[in-house]
Amino acid sequence: MRFCLFLLLVCAACSSPADKQPAQPTTVTVHDDLGRAVTFKAQPRRIMALAASMTEMLYAVADTAAIVGRTQVCDYPAAALKKPVVNSYPLDFETLVGLHPDVVFTTEGITSPADAARLQQLGVPVYYQTYRSVPDIFRGLRELGRLLGREPQAHRLTDSLQTELQRLTADSTAGNRPRVLAITWLDPIYAYGFNTLFTDKIRRAGGQNALTETFPQPYPALTREYILKLNPDVLIGGRFGKMDSTFFRMYPELKRIHAYQQRRVFAITGSLMERPGPRVVESVRELQRLLRSAQ
Amino acid sequence: MKRRAPLYILLTLLVAVVLVVAGMRQGSIEGADYATLLQALRHYDATNPAHVVLVELRLPRLLLALLAGGGLALSGYLMQTMVNNPLADPYLLGTASGASLGALVITILLPASSSMTPWLVPVGSLAGAVGATLLVIGIGTRRGRLIPTQLLLAGVATASLFNALGGLITFRAQTDSQLRAAVSWGMGSLERAGWPLLAGPTVAVVLGMLVAWLLRRHLDVLLLGEERAATLGLDVGRTRWLLLLASSGITAGVVALCGPLGFVGLIIPHATRGLLGVTGRLNLAFCTLLGGTFLLACDLLARWLYPPAGLPVGLITALFGVPFFVYLLRKKG
Repeated sequence: MRFCLFLLLVCAACSSPADKQPAQPTTVTVHDDLGRAVTFKAQPRRIMALAASMTEMLYAVADTAAIVGRTQVCDYPAAALKKPVVNSYPLDFETLVGLHPDVVFTTEGITSPADAARLQQLGVPVYYQTYRSVPDIFRGLRELGRLLGREPQAHRLTDSLQTELQRLTADSTAGNRPRVLAITWLDPIYAYGFNTLFTDKIRRAGGQNALTETFPQPYPALTREYILKLNPDVLIGGRFGKMDSTFFRMYPELKRIHAYQQRRVFAITGSLMERPGPRVVESVRELQRLLRSAQ
Repeated sequence: MKRRAPLYILLTLLVAVVLVVAGMRQGSIEGADYATLLQALRHYDATNPAHVVLVELRLPRLLLALLAGGGLALSGYLMQTMVNNPLADPYLLGTASGASLGALVITILLPASSSMTPWLVPVGSLAGAVGATLLVIGIGTRRGRLIPTQLLLAGVATASLFNALGGLITFRAQTDSQLRAAVSWGMGSLERAGWPLLAGPTVAVVLGMLVAWLLRRHLDVLLLGEERAATLGLDVGRTRWLLLLASSGITAGVVALCGPLGFVGLIIPHATRGLLGVTGRLNLAFCTLLGGTFLLACDLLARWLYPPAGLPVGLITALFGVPFFVYLLRKKG
């Protein structure tokens, strides 16, 4: 009788409700923003980014102890500076593989498809994100939260950023929108094209990208004649005094544009302008401040 | 063939005029037409954007194309004559790689915040061009005498060294913008054209043309070979030095502003000899005119193919120059 009871207990233990649930998958397969199927360990515990903006996103969403490295250009937040450095150009495969990341995050245009394929061969999955607008960044943050098992943190962050952005946007919808040309290099002249995140950011800040034509490159080269035709109201690229002694001294013809004549030439924080990360609202706020000071 | 020389010159001149006229209409600003051009030339109004575009941007660009193309073609002609080698071109002495290295040092190693950076690019490339040329001349001479073979080899070695140094500097680029600027400079462009900056290449090309004109009789003699030329009473050493200085001066002046523009200095002298013969009274003039017209056509094509900034003109000179060069070689063969 005692033996039968023991057998019943063993059977009951073996058929516990927990065992009836399917086992947790050890890997997940997801599609990144480039449409690539990426398979990596479910809820990865060792992660890193190959783009400065993505490192900022990981620090905003992930468990920072899980971040195993950074690239030589990742300098924000300050805590990132304590992580081991992996050179991103050219990509230091050996150091990267040596850090044993479960998955590596990057953005389109920063890591070449060839490097990603090589990393994949070496057993390091690469997940790409792309951003064309500010909501794309919020979506990217939530996606990271989902992949890293940090959905509540990601949602709290994006909700707060969205609220702040809505408040800023509400302040900047009235009135004329000045046409803003943001240049990235003086010789030859390269500018933020229409198909960049800048177009959305400057719109939310109360202006508009002076470049309304779409070019094949996100940062097209412009001629002086084309800039004269655009005749932007605001120029972003450096403070007025510096630009006066460099850009406008080199191209005196451009002193005829509205932006120069009304001294609406401004410098901007490079890392805020260039990185599509959690500081995007701060970037919109900075652009808004510049536009207001120009009025 | 020599009798046809004036006809070829007239035809090329006509093409050049047509291209200049077409080039004055090519651009982004509307309303910059011929009537406006005539008005601008008579009564220039600095507040009128169309006047500014026509006089300050389009005209200097077209002139720079003529000047740079003509200068490089002449430089190539002189260089090929000096070393008596049809493969020689204006960049034989490492001038282009020296200029590229100078531009890269300024673009990538100087902090972007330096207020002098944009101004220093032409200065740096000129210093690089002159430095490379002097280095090659130093290696290619023995007791003050130029040795063409040694000069050729020194040019190839120096170009390789400077290209490697340039690669090393490019590798240190911190931003995409720096990389794009470095790559873009290496492909040649006429976008920097402006009246104040035209002075450098103008002086270099005019002085080079003057030297070439003074030495025009010696060039044909030099083509006979060193010994024969000396037997005919030519001071070969002195003539070579003068040709070398003229050629490298022109190249440095042009490359400093436009970057390296490939193939003009190689194919145009060959086209000249193919059309007018190896020796000829009008060869120098025709070569210069043809070079200028060729670069003008390439620049118009570059801007037409890829508005607004245009493709780097150095790509077009190579893309269209090489098939033409092959055609000439096949025809000659």
